[in-house]
Amino acid sequence: MVIYLKAGGELRSKLQPDVDHFTRRVETEAGKPLSDILIGIGISPAFVAFAFKDGQLKRLDYTPSEGDIITLQPPVSGG
Amino acid sequence: MLSDKEKERYSRQVLIPGWNQEKLKQANVLVVGLGGLGSASALYLAAAGIGRLHLCDGDRVELSDLNRQMLYSESSLGLLKVEEASRRIGALNPSVAIVRHNAYLDSRNAAEIIAGCQVIVDGLDSLEPRFILNQESVLRGIPYVYGAVQGWQGYAGFFHPPQTACLACLLRPGAFKPDRVPVWGVTPGAIGLIQAGEVVKWALGQNPSLQGRLLIYDGASLSFEIISVEKDPACPVCSRA
Repeated sequence: MVIYLKAGGELRSKLQPDVDHFTRRVETEAGKPLSDILIGIGISPAFVAFAFKDGQLKRLDYTPSEGDIITLQPPVSGG
Repeated sequence: MLSDKEKERYSRQVLIPGWNQEKLKQANVLVVGLGGLGSASALYLAAAGIGRLHLCDGDRVELSDLNRQMLYSESSLGLLKVEEASRRIGALNPSVAIVRHNAYLDSRNAAEIIAGCQVIVDGLDSLEPRFILNQESVLRGIPYVYGAVQGWQGYAGFFHPPQTACLACLLRPGAFKPDRVPVWGVTPGAIGLIQAGEVVKWALGQNPSLQGRLLIYDGASLSFEIISVEKDPACPVCSRA
């Protein structure tokens, strides 16, 4: 199945977008959690603070569905 | 009761429908961390007429702070942030009562620092003390106004358990931490002002727009996105409170 991952902030360079400046098309097996999908494309889950889809928070154990567009957000700790 | 000087000082903002300056005067707000976020939020909260500001930071002013920490100037270098912040805020609005805590917040002093405060504003620059603030917020049932920045990106949220999720519903310890966080002034300025705005809405008895939600600001693309943060039934903090 195909999902689309978008990245905010400094995660963009790690994601290596190929659809537009923010988005990468990812082919993956159905039933895999997001954390495993990230590892499969070379992104450590430690670089992702949280994700969201359709304005709702998703944790890294979320299992995407075909066509999902999921935005990954990096840890942001400064003040 | 507002003095004549206060009536004049706040005469423009009291024209805003729903404004109640007396309520702001009764508010007791803690700002933890007086860096880029805390500079913005504390200055604007003081200008708005928050009655009592508790300021907490154990740091001293360095030259590399001055690109974003607007409470300070070159004459502040080497001085305690909490003292300089108090001086600057006192000059801006002497009617604000200031309580100073020259300390880094940790699990040993958190209860004492937070005691008596009605709302916590996060101006911190690392994750661990944020979890301490969050825990105290959950224990006391007082709002925690989250803010964090990095580079062009910033997050802001208003967590008020048990009505809303808490910070630990959103984030878990153990995420990657850079050695030195890149940041420039507009990012903490923007987020700090949003935090101040949410505090003022809350103090006025209005619903903060970010209650149980997270604002994701990206200055590079100038985008603002707001997502819902639902309570996590497995949250290690608020699900056990």
